[in-house]
Amino acid sequence: MSIDKEESVKKLFTAESAKVDTNKGDAYYDELYASCQKRIEELRELEPLNNRMDFMESVEEQGLERRDFLKWASATTAMLMLPASFTPLVAEAAVLMNRVPVIWVELSDCAGNSEALLRSDGPQIDEIVLDIISLEFHETLQAASGHQAEKQMDEAMEHFKGKYLLFVEGAVPLGLNGQYGTIGAKGETFVDHLHRAAKGAAAVVAVGSCATFGGIPAAAPNPTDAVGVMDVIKGKPIINIPACPANPSNMVGVILHFVLTGTIPELDSLLRPKFAFGYRIHDNCERRAHFDAGEYVEEWGDEGAKNNFCLYKVGCKGPMTFNNCSIIRYNEGVNWPIGVGRGCIGCSEPDFWDKYAYERPMANANIKAPTGGVEKTVDEFGLGLLTAAGIGIGIHAAASAIAGKKEDEGEA
Amino acid sequence: MSSKAGYKQVKRMTPAMRIIHWVNVVSMIVAVATGLYIAAPYYQTLMAEDAVDKYVMAWNRWGHFIVAIIFDVTSIIVAYLFFFSRFEKPWKKVIPTGKNIKEFGQVVVNLLTLNRTKNFDSTHSDSFNSVYFLIFHLLLFWMLFTGLQMYVHGLGSGISSIGAWWPAMLHLVTDWTLPVSSWFIGSTATGTNIMDVRISHHITMWLIIVWVVFHIYYQVWRTIFWKEGDIAIVVGGSKFVKEDKEA
Repeated sequence: MSIDKEESVKKLFTAESAKVDTNKGDAYYDELYASCQKRIEELRELEPLNNRMDFMESVEEQGLERRDFLKWASATTAMLMLPASFTPLVAEAAVLMNRVPVIWVELSDCAGNSEALLRSDGPQIDEIVLDIISLEFHETLQAASGHQAEKQMDEAMEHFKGKYLLFVEGAVPLGLNGQYGTIGAKGETFVDHLHRAAKGAAAVVAVGSCATFGGIPAAAPNPTDAVGVMDVIKGKPIINIPACPANPSNMVGVILHFVLTGTIPELDSLLRPKFAFGYRIHDNCERRAHFDAGEYVEEWGDEGAKNNFCLYKVGCKGPMTFNNCSIIRYNEGVNWPIGVGRGCIGCSEPDFWDKYAYERPMANANIKAPTGGVEKTVDEFGLGLLTAAGIGIGIHAAASAIAGKKEDEGEA
Repeated sequence: MSSKAGYKQVKRMTPAMRIIHWVNVVSMIVAVATGLYIAAPYYQTLMAEDAVDKYVMAWNRWGHFIVAIIFDVTSIIVAYLFFFSRFEKPWKKVIPTGKNIKEFGQVVVNLLTLNRTKNFDSTHSDSFNSVYFLIFHLLLFWMLFTGLQMYVHGLGSGISSIGAWWPAMLHLVTDWTLPVSSWFIGSTATGTNIMDVRISHHITMWLIIVWVVFHIYYQVWRTIFWKEGDIAIVVGGSKFVKEDKEA
């Protein structure tokens, strides 16, 4: 853990692993319903921001029906762990998404999370919802560049101060004073960029494994000292939506929750929304029966693979990974990694590249170079051995000198 | 039982202690065999049978958890006896008093010099063995907490066959192993990680196996070198010492 000592001691005895309370009682939900209704009425009064797309028009333009939208609304209500009576409110909140300004910044990463919501097999409701949000600034998608882009960002931050949601994609490199990553015409470092963008945000949403826990940039040996957003930004509500890439459904879920209630959803100890990361993949996996039966795919393409056997022996990390992809899957329920016949690589867990993403059973992980790297070992071993020899020579020389003196004295 | 002339019989383990010892031995063998299978299934099942008839992983997990629970309960009994046994008071032997440190050192010297010097009383449980057994039980407690931490995620619904109090209690008493394990294992990123709990559970198994190897070696060594029948303690409950040694 690369957090400072005081905080690690504090965390030691206050850790809470995922524990989900799915039924909080009628009184709680009645109160929540009333407050959500009030908030939606307030939002309806507001004018749409820059994005003037009409939600229902967009849905129809994409060849979907109102019925598809309502199906989506009830599924999303269930995903957010709200009672079915909230479905009309969720539907209405989706239509009002263009009242909430979003600024999206991109740091050390592959833009995979942006890709995830742009490149689906066809426009689904989740993607349309993300089209509708008032995306005021998105480095990868916008037409502006250089000074123009920076001006646009400054204006957006000034205009929506305290109101916008900041989405961050990518890890924050801290090495060399942050010089491993710079952006914009002024060559601002990623870490300064993030601090500036987070200052006026209502909440910060870290999207993808790099932004949440450092992800692949932070994998051993982490040459750029990359960390996640929560290690850099303090004193702001932070929501982590890990996974590689983050599931657009969960991004929509967080925005919807914010639109609907004005608050961030309930989080676990890693700041992940419990509605999405409260369950273990293994417990909702379609191949679980084969796990219990001891029926495993022994190698790719064997008879077991053809029979959809459990992927545990080819390295599936479902038993250690918390995410809802075994329930909601990707691309609006089309499929997911285990469904297509390859194991889970635990992409929503911290350190996933080092500790989860190998295609071997957990105990046979052997992913690192021998003894942690050939040159590293040789250098450290050599220096250690040389030091030991030096000390030995020193002791021998001193002892010889003393012995020699004694001998001289004896002879004399 | 009559003693050989010149030798005196000394009672060292009560029947309860011996039963716990052998229950632990069996539990440990089963726990290691099933635990290794859970970590990386090392044998295959026949393909022709239906999944429901095999249930191989489920039986391995069943066995692992049953012996774990037995182990946990004997550990609680041992922890109780550590302080409150009327037979002996092991905790008095592990506190670092001058006498204990001296005895500890003498036992180590005895082992390193292959019994050429023996300046301590081998009639009773010595300070070295008491510390060594304490280390074993600390390792066991770590296994207990890390194991139950991984186990409780199988009860994700928050309910169990014996009530909701059980998973709630398991979270309460084992969630701290998450940051402690991440702290032990180290991480390039921030965040506590259940994989670290698993890794440390697995490493601790090897530490316990190493512990057992030395334990067996040392008890056999004592029997051969001391000629006081130490190995019989764990079967009959007593050993024999020369009369003149009885101080």
